[in-house]
Amino acid sequence: MFADDETRSTFPGLLSDLQAALDRIRAGIAKFSIEGKIGLFGLCIFVVMALFAPMISGHPPDEITGDSLERPGAEHILGTDELGMDIWAQICYGARMSLLIGLVVASVAGFGGGAIGILAAYRGGLADQILMRVIDVTMALPSLPLLIVISAFMGPSIANVIFILILFGWARPARIARSQTLSVKTHAYIVAARNYGAGSWYLLRRHIFPEVLPILFVLVIGITSHAIVAEAGLAFLGLGDPTSKSWGMMLNYATSFRSIYFTPYWQWWLIPPLVALIALLLCLAFIGRDLERVLDPKLRARRGAE
Amino acid sequence: MRDNRAIISRFLLTLMILLAINFFLPRMMPGDPFSLTSSDVQGEDIVIMTEAQRAYYMEYYGLDRPLHEQFIIYLKNLAGGDLGKSISNKMAVGDMIRIHLPWTILIVFGATVISTIVGVLLGTLSARNQKKGVDRFMMAGLIAFAEIPSFLLGLILLLIFVVQLRLFPIAGAVTPFADYGSVWSMAGDVAYHAVLPVLTLSLTQLTGVYLLTRNTLITVTTKDYIRTARAKGLGERVVWTRHALRNALLPVVTRTGFMIGALMGGSVLVETVFSYPGLGMTLRSAVIARDYPLIQGILLVIAVSILICNLAVDLIYKRLDPRVVI
Repeated sequence: MFADDETRSTFPGLLSDLQAALDRIRAGIAKFSIEGKIGLFGLCIFVVMALFAPMISGHPPDEITGDSLERPGAEHILGTDELGMDIWAQICYGARMSLLIGLVVASVAGFGGGAIGILAAYRGGLADQILMRVIDVTMALPSLPLLIVISAFMGPSIANVIFILILFGWARPARIARSQTLSVKTHAYIVAARNYGAGSWYLLRRHIFPEVLPILFVLVIGITSHAIVAEAGLAFLGLGDPTSKSWGMMLNYATSFRSIYFTPYWQWWLIPPLVALIALLLCLAFIGRDLERVLDPKLRARRGAE
Repeated sequence: MRDNRAIISRFLLTLMILLAINFFLPRMMPGDPFSLTSSDVQGEDIVIMTEAQRAYYMEYYGLDRPLHEQFIIYLKNLAGGDLGKSISNKMAVGDMIRIHLPWTILIVFGATVISTIVGVLLGTLSARNQKKGVDRFMMAGLIAFAEIPSFLLGLILLLIFVVQLRLFPIAGAVTPFADYGSVWSMAGDVAYHAVLPVLTLSLTQLTGVYLLTRNTLITVTTKDYIRTARAKGLGERVVWTRHALRNALLPVVTRTGFMIGALMGGSVLVETVFSYPGLGMTLRSAVIARDYPLIQGILLVIAVSILICNLAVDLIYKRLDPRVVI
């Protein structure tokens, strides 16, 4: 969008195509329903929380700044945990962690997987056959038990969690991008363009890529929520990075605290990460559903039919 | 026939990969079950046994042999139903799984039955009132519900029904040291403990069944044979139950297979929330204790049952609807 002229002249076609695709998405957002706008607004709040965590949190999230298990009050607006660390600060930094994991996993798995799918479908042949088998098996493997076991063995670190989620996440976008490309490839206008001498690269970026991009965006949002849930679930089981502040880790610490349920502590220790996680997931779901509806009404039917 | 072979060969390939991951993964990772690493002291192992003791145990559990030999032994034992011995509590892994698996089966089965029945009922209600208030309300509500992951839902139910209302027990599958007068009082106690885990798991699957029933019913009711049934003077009730619902149920039934698979996976987290002594809870404690054979055994049971459910769905679906190409 704001590329300088030099880059523009190097990849003029690519940039204008990307611009067109982005314009389509922007036009789509303008057509969002109330639900979708709420989702977008909510997501913006979380993004602001994540970006400006040091400024709005008031306290560092990993230092003892108060008494143990203080009630919410003027000094600690959401109270403190067992060790006397500020809960609101942990929520702000937790937003960072969740969004970061969601963003990285979704963009690598979604767009990377999508690119693999597009290329395989476009080239066809043996590579495509092999890829399909790999996708089949990856999708058939039960991901949650494997996720638990692999992260247990690889050790608790955010990088490992991201790596495993990408490992299991790329197959679905690859398969959908592949089938989408296969159907687009046979359209008359693409055959015509090819007969007029259009090269592979031109065809891919000019005709095929813009057709597949919207569905990838919808998938990317789905993968984002999935990654956030998976990280929180692993952390909840005690397989998260103990040095990181994430909502899942907060849930883990709170629920492993002895007699948490027999004391009033859960009200300010357990509820905030729970509410934050559910709110973020609902926002993403609202956005995803609206994006799907707006970008391509046929999409839903096609995905339902697969 | 050829397609069946393709389905089965894919199943076998996936199974082999699963076995390989299951076997090699623990052995590729740093650390072993005989040394504890403290997170307080970086890079320093706490000595809990002498080198000689350690070597003895490595040999005892066969961990000192070359990898490929270990793998072959592993496959051989597996074929004989032997999953090895748990390192943390000296029991045979097979026995530990036999103790804990019934609890998981109980809640997974309960959730399958409940979510299918309630989902079909709600879906039918929604389809009959298509585009009306009830339909819209249920659509919006249930779809939003589906976005809440199982363990968060479980925590919410726990906070409401156990902590606030004190209606259900907080942990376990039976009352400890209970003296049951009859089978019925025992069954009652088991059911009482299973309510919340089953409810949580059911709620996670409910939306899928509901949407499938609703959408299939709506498609089915536009078919000619429904119009014929109405034209020959059958009552609405008969048209809906005998003609529409019977045809719409086919995909719901095949979905049940997938559902059991998803529930087996989901039960790991849900059991942890409710401290329910099934396979999931055991897996968690095995992971913490680095008990390789136990982890492998549990992963295998969960993963293979998911694979078998999916295989069954593929095969049955193919049978019921020959047009399907998988």
